[in-house]
Amino acid sequence: MTAAGERADPLPLKIPRSRSYWVSVGHRLLLQPAALTALSLLGVLFTVGALVHEIAPQGWNDIDLSARWSNHAPTLAGHHYLGTDNIGRDVLVRMLWGLHDTESVALIGAAIATVLGLLLGGLSGFRRGWLDVVMMRFVDLVTTFPVIVLMLVVFTLLEPVSTTKATVVFALYMWTFIARVVRARIFVLGSEEFVEAARALGASDLRVFFKHLLPNAAGTLVVAATSMVGQIMLVEATVEFFGYGVNSLIRPTLGNLSADAAASGIGQYNALGLGWWVWVTPAATLVLVLLCVNIAGDGLDAALNPRASRR
Amino acid sequence: MLAAVGRRILLTLCLLAAFSFVTFYFFAETEPPLKGHPPLHEYWVWVHGLVSGRSFESLIFIPYRSTAGASLWPIVLPPLAHTAVLLASAMVLVVVFSVVIAYAAARMRGSALDVLLRGLAYLGWAIPAYLLGLLVQLVVSVVGGSRGIGPFPLAGWPGSCPASIGLNAGEISPCPPAGSGIALVYHVLTHIALPAATLAAGFVGLHGRFLRSALLEQLDAPYVATARMKGLTERRVILRHASRNALATFVGALFSDFGAIFGTALAVDWVFQLNGIGALLLHEFPQSFGPADIYAIELILLISGGFVLVSSLVGDLAVAGLDPRLRREW
Repeated sequence: MTAAGERADPLPLKIPRSRSYWVSVGHRLLLQPAALTALSLLGVLFTVGALVHEIAPQGWNDIDLSARWSNHAPTLAGHHYLGTDNIGRDVLVRMLWGLHDTESVALIGAAIATVLGLLLGGLSGFRRGWLDVVMMRFVDLVTTFPVIVLMLVVFTLLEPVSTTKATVVFALYMWTFIARVVRARIFVLGSEEFVEAARALGASDLRVFFKHLLPNAAGTLVVAATSMVGQIMLVEATVEFFGYGVNSLIRPTLGNLSADAAASGIGQYNALGLGWWVWVTPAATLVLVLLCVNIAGDGLDAALNPRASRR
Repeated sequence: MLAAVGRRILLTLCLLAAFSFVTFYFFAETEPPLKGHPPLHEYWVWVHGLVSGRSFESLIFIPYRSTAGASLWPIVLPPLAHTAVLLASAMVLVVVFSVVIAYAAARMRGSALDVLLRGLAYLGWAIPAYLLGLLVQLVVSVVGGSRGIGPFPLAGWPGSCPASIGLNAGEISPCPPAGSGIALVYHVLTHIALPAATLAAGFVGLHGRFLRSALLEQLDAPYVATARMKGLTERRVILRHASRNALATFVGALFSDFGAIFGTALAVDWVFQLNGIGALLLHEFPQSFGPADIYAIELILLISGGFVLVSSLVGDLAVAGLDPRLRREW
């Protein structure tokens, strides 16, 4: 029998130190080597793409006029490390500028789409009622058009397509996908007890939305926004492959660079006699970026929504 | 349930009508042949012709088409059939390979096979379909020459000459023979194998991972522990108990993604010269290939929208069939 006073000595229970949500997200992310690698690689690639004005100041249309540098294979001698195309433009430089433009279209487009989708989808799920019905039927109608078919139509009407136009078009279309996801999440959260509690304490609509609902929907939103970046790159490349969208004469993108080279034929029916390096360089970069975006997206998903997903 | 299905079908029809009007109005406003006419009148003429099937005529002179002014259905139906076969076989491949990936993960989680399949799935989803198609063609032409590998040709569709505007037009496959009966089925299957695999690869990469995570999540649920405690074999636990719940999520996601699959099918159709909807759409498009036939583009857009709506209807019904808890009020 021990005295009551001795019980003050705590039981050998290890109580985990409570962490904030974002700190534990960081911890969960650190436990995933694949996602971390993908994220850092993506960071490096996007930084290189963003700094292209400093790295390759000669621009994407700089032509090496000497006959030796027409359609030259990758070489360490003479500064054209990944070779040149049929009129003597450096493949590496064009790839970097393509990365720059692909990245800016995808990142800015996804950012605008996310903000629009968050506000409109959030409003729809929060307000419910007729607004919700009208908004979601509208989203249904817009997403009924298969993306690639719709983009072909829109880009044809908007010829010539600049990267700015492409960004705006993608943002104005892709928000519907974000809105659908956000709306579903906000709708479910809206019936939870903590929202009722906040309302009982007299919280205004704005406070409930931004202080209570939004932080709980943040995980869903980040994952949707990340996959949107990949989606925009993929759709843009496919549309450019058909010869619509941003033309490589206006600005090179990873999509139109690989599509242009592919359209001349790869293998034995190569119309322009382009070397493999002309299409392999932008195509491999595009695949690498998409791979990193997807792996990073899944890693973020696992870190942000630990209960909902295991991929 | 029947009333819900009826409402769902009605909603689909309404969306289809709205969709057709929006696309029609979109073009009627911008294209010269329809300028000046009231769009509603033109729309009525168009819909009427479409439904009755005989008076529907292309109103514009199309230089490259010998059948100008005739009904569009004979022009649209064969490509539609090609695309439908491509989509159907790709969907079958997506389901089969996704199940393989998920089952391997459920039986051997974390094993080398699981990791390898996951890696391949990520890679498949990261390669745009047109690029994968070109790579497949490159490998086939290097290994087997312009005739393809074994029974699998490089490109083309049996019984239809390649559209003269595709990649490497006319060089890869001069009109392959069609045959009839079993020979036709054989020819179609051999011609569709490589394109269908190309189209499926990306979506196996996406949906295989979804099915895998859904199945693993189900295997952690208490009812699975109960099933194991009853002494059922692991195979039976996975196939009879866990997979039914996992499949409901998977089927719903797959069918709601049909718009993307359809769009990608256009690119695959173009690369492999299947003379499907993709080739037709690019034929009818303005800018590069002369004046556009609004009516043809309209019809193609309507068909693609119809594909998406019908597939989302089928998806919803399949999900409701698989998991009664997910039966929503439509």
